[in-house]
Amino acid sequence: MADGEASASGLAEKLAGLSAGGGDDHQQPPPAGGDEPQLSKNARKREEKKKKLEEERRLKEEDKKNKAAEAAASGAHQKASAADDDDMDPTQYYENRLKTLDSLKGTGVNPYPHKFGVGISLTEYIDKYKSLSDGEKLVDVTECLAGRIMNKRTSSSKLIFYDLYGGGMKVQVMADARTSELEETEFCRYHSGVKRGDIVGICGYPGKSNKGELSVFPRKFIVLSPCLHMMPRQKGGAGKGQGNAVPAPWTPGMGRNIENYVLRDQETRYRQRYLDLMVNHEVRHIFKTRSKVVSFIRKFLDDREFLEVETPMMNMIAGGAAARPFVTHHNELNMRLYMRVAPELYLKELVVGGLDRVYEIGKQFRNEGIDLTHNPEFTTCEFYMAYADYDDLMELTEAMLSGMVKELTGGYKIKYHANGVMNPPIEIDFTPPFRRIDMIQELEAMANLNIPKDLSSEEANKYLIDACAKYDVKCPPPQTTSRLLDKLVGHFLEETCVNPTFIINHPEIMSPLAKWHRSRPGLTERFELFANKHEVCNAYTELNDPVVQRQRFEEQLKDRQSGDDEAMALDETFCTALEYGLPPTGGWGLGIDRLTMLLTDSQNIKEVLLFPAMKPQD
Amino acid sequence: MEALRVWRASSNLFGFGASRAATVAAAATPLYLHTCRRSHLRTAATAKPPPQPPQDRRRRSASSSTSTSDRDSIRATRLKKVEELRGKGYEPYAYKWDRTHTTKELQEEYTHLENGEVCEEAAVSIAGRIVARRAFGKLAFMTIRDDTGTIQLYCEKYSLSEDQFEQLKAFIDIGDILGASGSIKKTDKGELSVYVKKFEILTKSLLPLPDKYHGLTDVDKRYRQRYVDMIANPEVADVFRTRAKVVSEIRKTMESFCFIEVETPVLQGAAGGAEARPFITYHNSLQRDLYLRIATELHLKRMLVGGFEKVYEIGRIFRNEGISTRHNPEFTTIEMYEAYSDYESMMNIAEEIVTRCAMATHGKLKIDYQGTEISLERPWRRETMHSLVKEATGIDFYSFGQDVEAAKNAASGLPRIKVGSNESTSLQACSSVGHVLNERSRFENQIKQHNAKEVKSTKGQGDEDDYSYEVSLDEDFLTSLEYGMPPASGMGLGIDRLVMLLTNSASIRDVIAFPVLKIQ
Repeated sequence: MADGEASASGLAEKLAGLSAGGGDDHQQPPPAGGDEPQLSKNARKREEKKKKLEEERRLKEEDKKNKAAEAAASGAHQKASAADDDDMDPTQYYENRLKTLDSLKGTGVNPYPHKFGVGISLTEYIDKYKSLSDGEKLVDVTECLAGRIMNKRTSSSKLIFYDLYGGGMKVQVMADARTSELEETEFCRYHSGVKRGDIVGICGYPGKSNKGELSVFPRKFIVLSPCLHMMPRQKGGAGKGQGNAVPAPWTPGMGRNIENYVLRDQETRYRQRYLDLMVNHEVRHIFKTRSKVVSFIRKFLDDREFLEVETPMMNMIAGGAAARPFVTHHNELNMRLYMRVAPELYLKELVVGGLDRVYEIGKQFRNEGIDLTHNPEFTTCEFYMAYADYDDLMELTEAMLSGMVKELTGGYKIKYHANGVMNPPIEIDFTPPFRRIDMIQELEAMANLNIPKDLSSEEANKYLIDACAKYDVKCPPPQTTSRLLDKLVGHFLEETCVNPTFIINHPEIMSPLAKWHRSRPGLTERFELFANKHEVCNAYTELNDPVVQRQRFEEQLKDRQSGDDEAMALDETFCTALEYGLPPTGGWGLGIDRLTMLLTDSQNIKEVLLFPAMKPQD
Repeated sequence: MEALRVWRASSNLFGFGASRAATVAAAATPLYLHTCRRSHLRTAATAKPPPQPPQDRRRRSASSSTSTSDRDSIRATRLKKVEELRGKGYEPYAYKWDRTHTTKELQEEYTHLENGEVCEEAAVSIAGRIVARRAFGKLAFMTIRDDTGTIQLYCEKYSLSEDQFEQLKAFIDIGDILGASGSIKKTDKGELSVYVKKFEILTKSLLPLPDKYHGLTDVDKRYRQRYVDMIANPEVADVFRTRAKVVSEIRKTMESFCFIEVETPVLQGAAGGAEARPFITYHNSLQRDLYLRIATELHLKRMLVGGFEKVYEIGRIFRNEGISTRHNPEFTTIEMYEAYSDYESMMNIAEEIVTRCAMATHGKLKIDYQGTEISLERPWRRETMHSLVKEATGIDFYSFGQDVEAAKNAASGLPRIKVGSNESTSLQACSSVGHVLNERSRFENQIKQHNAKEVKSTKGQGDEDDYSYEVSLDEDFLTSLEYGMPPASGMGLGIDRLVMLLTNSASIRDVIAFPVLKIQ
């Protein structure tokens, strides 16, 4: 392996002409010196002085030229490179690049060096040198940077400007034949082969252009991984944004406008997320935000002595939620397995086992259609807290979500394009406490209904069928009481829940795992949190009476028999666990994808999933 | 022995409680109708003997200490207690309990009390499961256990409210979950206790706890009913506490190196990134087969192409393979990829992760694993595979050059070497290949080889492994490489196996809360 590496880097040097140590581990190329004849001290001093003067003179001239070139290059919209490649057919472009690579390999050159010693990230580089004054250059310093070339502007064959991107930042590269270690002809030849999209490593000195743009002046420039395809190009020319922050820095809570993206085609963006990330610079911040959301939740729960656990994703019964599961098969055990639809039952078993506060952040799977808010796999956080009830959990929810919005955005209000990007965004206010509405009471008030108290009766079912008909609320069969109520609540209550709102006290028939309400017969101690009219959290005081739990499962079975194939299945192991005693417990679930959608102004769940499920192509 | 004795004592109390409960229940029926809420009525109306449970995902097995009929009669007795409590206006499944302390906090806070000393001004409240009880004429002792440890409850007839002491004797069984409040007393024998003034049954248990000694030996049941295992053996929960600590420490380590955590799909159109049999499922609305991921590699590398320079994912991987002490069909890994680095960097990160986890869980770098002392002191030995083989076998395989047959002959002459011993098979690092053409041909080769094996094995002449599954080329991944992936290195680490090492667990099933088991 070591041998291979050495030779590979050696070949890489060849590729870069005579540049020193292109692919090796040393970050600082040895400044010419080792092979110089030994001179006396004075002679050396004289020599250095002379060199310095020469260098200064050279730099002055260079500046003058560069100034002109820079202006020309940015004015001409990379005319030169446009002439090169832009008109080319993408397939032709790809084949040409493949051919070039092949011929390189034919000469024994490895176009993919194993390693380039990066000394500093672009972000660090910008921090370190942003205070240079316009035109100032630190010729004695060498920094090694790497990233992707997103723009190439050819001023002349001996002076080329590149935009180097890495870590969401941009640094201008001024590749000048006179600064390079390459001979002039070799320099021209090498740079004519560098294309937009290539990943390159650069060792050079820092400085600012006369216009004030922080740049790097490469002594060494090496392609680390060529991009074989034509990159989507920004309309109206690139490099228009001055400074090193990538244009339009987006932060959580702000609105986004996908219409302004360089790459707008949704299919391409979601199927080739890496392209989306490369050219739409905002996108990486979406996923950074997602990561922050998850870390915040984890920290919030860790701080409250919750223990993070992992429960199976493959079960013999898909319990814990009403949903159609994925089915798979274990060959050697000859066993049918379901992908979990919720971790709930296992987590409660752990509370029975004595872990008083547990949580799990992980994937759930539901074999359902794909739409703007549904992906077959999605991420949730569920936690269970012994000796707490749903009132405690509402307070915790308020603390967690308002705290998160505050930390990520600096305030409690976020912008969200609820009515499409063409209309102004709405504001969603996470200032605690959140509004609380009682489900049945509020529904009766808003729809002017008087629902029979015994919700499990035929009478109640009939009443609700009529109510749906009256208000033209569609409920496709099976028209179980539970489904009818769900549709009415969706129509009347959820529509009002733009700012975070708890809908509380659901009927028992809708909540087979929630505990009956301590003072309101027929209802449970449950809440759902809605924001922007979508469910974000679902929680309840857990049902821990095993006898009642069995009955609830049996009622679900009835719904299942009447055609509701999303009714919950009975899990005998879980019922047995309850017989050993589950302490009074509050249980809570949150959809991480949907919360991230709110914080990133995303109207489609695919915006917050790196690799969303897509229909098969062709 | 102590526990066993307590157990017997409580069993005797059952008889007493049961007969008493039965008579009281009969007498209390009318009252019950008046005081209870509708939902309870429904409960009562159907409180027939619970139906015989059908076969389930992990069919429950009878407690080893109690026969099935014993269990059923205990359950019936306790169900009667539930009814009776409700008849008296108590809810045996309470809604909440406010704790002031955990048992551990109490043990620490009041450790200074003298024997026999009472701290009257203390007003404490705790909750947990009753794991032992002894009742005398006017005095009862119970041991309550919570997440953090245990403490004794000192219950005196005269310090409790009127009928509470009688209730305690009549209704509380070992296994019940109780909330108790009062002051603090250290008994004459030096046992720190909560001097109970008030208690509440928070959850009535219906089934007896397993006998500690027999429960332990029933290995199968330990995995099938992990919660019973945890109640009987609190140290089992420590494994999962350590597991959480390990995962958290890994995350902290990655964060300290500025890696960003991402989530990539479990359901995939093609299962790539490793050579393993995948699970297959079907998506109804897309009308297509999907595979459960066998690795996260190919998607994480796409992130490098997209411009993330340091990414990792901690997540579940699925392989449709046999189960053993080292294999569960679903397991957890961390995979990480770092642009512009090579495998030296990955070796450093591996050392960093493992040593940090060892320090977080053991506080030292010398650990015992199944009788072998393992030193995790850095630097770790780094040796080429070739020289390790040479060291172990004495054969220099380089000397065979391209002569594969000769090498095979030499190898088959060796005594059987057990592959994959305790040493870190949990770590695997490789310098990632960003080489498009080469990668494609490698993939194609892999598939060719695989298909050859498949053909062989269907003809019944293959080796032991079963290769009768499809391997497909992930074209999308290859396209992403054509856009250029920076030179990078990557590593995968099996978290279950690391936890095994750090918890001295012989089987992967000891570190997975609910392992996959054969159908009973």
